[in-house]
Amino acid sequence: MLEKTGIATPENLADITPSKDRMAKGPVAVIECFQRIPCNPCQTACKRGAIKEFEDINDRPEIDHEKCNGCGMCASNCPGLSIFIIDETYSDEEALVKVPYEFLPLPEEGSYVTGLDREGKPVCRAKVLKVLNTKAQDRTPIVSLVVPKELSMTVRCFNIEDYFSDNTMVCRCEEVTLGEVRELIRKGYQSVDEIKRISRAGMGPCQGRTCRQLIMQELAAATGKKMSELRMSTFRPPAKPIKLGALAGGEDNE
Amino acid sequence: MNKTASVVIIGGGISGCAIAYNLAMKGVKDIVVVEKNFLCSGSTGRCGAGVRMQWGTEMNCRLAKYSIEYYEKANELLDYEFDIDFKQSGYLIVAATEKEDAQFRKNVELQNSLGIPSKYLTPKEAKEIIPYMDESKIISATFCPKDGHLNPFHTTQAFANAAMRLGVEIMKYTTVTGIKVEKGRITGVETDKGLIYTPIVVNAAGGYSKEIGDMAGVDIPIYPERHQILVTEPVAPLQGPMYMGFALNIYCQQSPEGSFIMGRGDANEPRDGRINSSWHFLEEMAKSCTELLPLLGKLNVVRQWAGLYCMSPDRQPIYGPVKEVEGFYLATGFSGHGFMFGPVTGVVIAESILGETPTIPIYMLDKDRFTRGELLLEPSVV
Repeated sequence: MLEKTGIATPENLADITPSKDRMAKGPVAVIECFQRIPCNPCQTACKRGAIKEFEDINDRPEIDHEKCNGCGMCASNCPGLSIFIIDETYSDEEALVKVPYEFLPLPEEGSYVTGLDREGKPVCRAKVLKVLNTKAQDRTPIVSLVVPKELSMTVRCFNIEDYFSDNTMVCRCEEVTLGEVRELIRKGYQSVDEIKRISRAGMGPCQGRTCRQLIMQELAAATGKKMSELRMSTFRPPAKPIKLGALAGGEDNE
Repeated sequence: MNKTASVVIIGGGISGCAIAYNLAMKGVKDIVVVEKNFLCSGSTGRCGAGVRMQWGTEMNCRLAKYSIEYYEKANELLDYEFDIDFKQSGYLIVAATEKEDAQFRKNVELQNSLGIPSKYLTPKEAKEIIPYMDESKIISATFCPKDGHLNPFHTTQAFANAAMRLGVEIMKYTTVTGIKVEKGRITGVETDKGLIYTPIVVNAAGGYSKEIGDMAGVDIPIYPERHQILVTEPVAPLQGPMYMGFALNIYCQQSPEGSFIMGRGDANEPRDGRINSSWHFLEEMAKSCTELLPLLGKLNVVRQWAGLYCMSPDRQPIYGPVKEVEGFYLATGFSGHGFMFGPVTGVVIAESILGETPTIPIYMLDKDRFTRGELLLEPSVV
């Protein structure tokens, strides 16, 4: 799969993920380098000898997570941008994911961006804690993102635009914003159907085709439940808009 | 987990929330509202949202007038953070048979005597109000500018929020599984979240209030009747008032955000509590609508749903205590008009529980009127 898609599979990741105990101790490098190629800057950059010396320059890096202190030098030196620093001790609910980022413009510290997974799919809102961009990074800045702890091994890049800001329109038919949905969830509305009735999100011509999913995501994030565990909303006929005149007979439904 | 309450109200629709609010306003503590789903997930949230003073019995006229005058001030009275969206753009009720026409003449006379500003119209005068109607299909019409519509979700929430501020507990997603009666008195309500000890239960369960009555051993002569609604895409303001016909079996109104909402029931359907949507309704409703209001044929239907009318033998509410079980109160049998009677229901049931003099005498709306044969038949129901 990896060869075809370029996206690491759960099996690939199982081999390189640090132990739970190690994660609980603080920042650590996660090396997502799955292909044998002639490349070794990570090994030479590591001052602590955590990355084992290569016998063959084509070897994949082997890291001793116990020796690694998460300094991030390997991450800036990796030409493939495949090393990330994960710090699960950042707070009770959040983790830091430090990603190498070679695009411009760089995000501003303190701003919010959209966390992306390995496939580039938006998965969360992330705060930019720090942008490390000194001579030592050699034009591969390291951006520290604050993400929900359960996404520490999911977020691997970001889009500088904040898809999940309060101003984002969730329901375009009825013009309901994410901020309004969040406010309703805070007030105790517990399901898509409740939010639909009070905000009209999902009552427009598209019948919730976009917003239903987005509201479910928001409810899942707020309750810590999986989307599959949430109350399903009611789907109502007709499946697509149809003219009264066509239903009555005699008129075409253009 | 078991708990104790002074009153348990079964049903989180407009009636249950309004009763809870009124009791709390009168100083009652430890009120619990039990709702199987979420607030107004039943008949309240599925209704056509129209409210009218134009009725055929004095009782319904008075109940409706009180409620509509309450709705005029409800945002302020309930200190609601949003808007219940009350628009009084009138009801145009059309007569399609000679019998209806005769009834409407009587109705207007009764309504006017009670201070309701309705008037009798010729088809031509009716057409001035809704220019695209086919006036050849009607004999006459009546119009009352005080009638209107409002948002059932926000209205129920407004009562619920005000009640919760006064300490009422609303248990959502909680199902009543039984009612405990000992020596002819209510002692508790069993739910899937535990037992609630209480001396008083109010049955405000709408389409499900017969089952709740059965749990207490009280036979209520009501049955659920499916009514269906469809809603179109929103368009620019076109129609001010509600268009309604009883013989024609239609009501049709443009809501504030622009969509047209229309519906009807079928009295011949099985009375089994079904609330699914049918294709048959869509087709029949479309036929009636395009015949009576031809212009609307161009509109796209985007959604349909169904809900339950809780039909009583005389199509008027059943209010108050029952003889069989002490502490068991009814607020049911609204026959499709529970939402518009919400404010008055809250007041008269709270008064009935506390033994106060009623704002509007409701003793003749007790359950036993049917065994006594003292029905107050309402002729004007769609």
